[in-house]
Amino acid sequence: MEKLCSFLVLAALIGFSAANSNICTKPEVSAQSYTTPDATILTNIGFVAEFSLKCGNGVQNPSLFAELGGKTQSVARIGNNKYQVSWAEDVKKAQRGDYTINIYDEENYAALRKAMRNNEDISSVKPLASVVLNFPGAYQGPWVNSEFMAFVLSIAVLYAAYSAKSKLLA
Amino acid sequence: MAKKDQTFTKEEELLLQDFSRNVSTKSSALFYGNAFIVSAIPIWLFWRIHMIDLYSSLISFVIVTLVSTYLVAFAYKNTKFVLKHKVAVKREDAITREMNKNLADNKKMSKKEKDERILWKKNEVADYEATTFSIFYNNALFLAIVIFASFYLLKSFTPAVNYVLSVGVAGGLLALLSTGSQ
Repeated sequence: MEKLCSFLVLAALIGFSAANSNICTKPEVSAQSYTTPDATILTNIGFVAEFSLKCGNGVQNPSLFAELGGKTQSVARIGNNKYQVSWAEDVKKAQRGDYTINIYDEENYAALRKAMRNNEDISSVKPLASVVLNFPGAYQGPWVNSEFMAFVLSIAVLYAAYSAKSKLLA
Repeated sequence: MAKKDQTFTKEEELLLQDFSRNVSTKSSALFYGNAFIVSAIPIWLFWRIHMIDLYSSLISFVIVTLVSTYLVAFAYKNTKFVLKHKVAVKREDAITREMNKNLADNKKMSKKEKDERILWKKNEVADYEATTFSIFYNNALFLAIVIFASFYLLKSFTPAVNYVLSVGVAGGLLALLSTGSQ
């Protein structure tokens, strides 16, 4: 029994230290992003943000979570200390501008979830880092389609012809 | 028309020519050539834009183009006839002034001959202006109708039906509108 107890304590200690060592401090994030440039025939705009994380205390590959506009999602790890956040949005709903993605590690993600559950202000939970994704807007086809343009031009020529004719016949 | 035993003076013949609906061979060729070109242009529109099947609609291309050529040429002729007199009246003063200036040096020419020349010149100018303007006006009207009909009115039809109807309607409408007196 005593042995078991001491083993548990030891395990807890190891677990604690391990958990402690997983906390990333002084994170440095460098990010790249991609958004759909041409949405002429698409229904959704794809948003992809890729970033690499470098922890000041040398923690490798911690698992991360993202929060964007009050919604949480997991962050995919795509390489050594490289991560990716992606989502799709309806073309009509996608607004151009900056999207701030807050990155959380396990610990403050739990705090974030708790704050969300209790309807508390989520900005009180400090994220590990933030990634800004800029969406400059997607090309959605020309403002006027070509047949309308052709129609307008033909009407303009017809108007010129008609007014010249009525001037002659006047 | 004129009976055979009657003879006309040159002036009378010119006047008759001036008021006749007949067109000279030259302007008739001009009318039919232009009408053919403008009737054939929609084929390109339907081939490249409406994606009509070129080979299966070959017969309708030929028939519709020929019918439309006839109708457009008919419209050219009618519009020209209506316009010619108006143009002649509008340009009369300027032509008379210019011809008098040109013929002022010519002392040998009689007054009658001068008047005949002025009349002839007036006829020529009015004929030319009415011909070219009639072609321009009818082409503009024809293409505007074709574009409007094919892109908006008959949008839901298949390209083959759309072609026959839009070009046919444009030609028919052109011919109909040209028969109005104004």
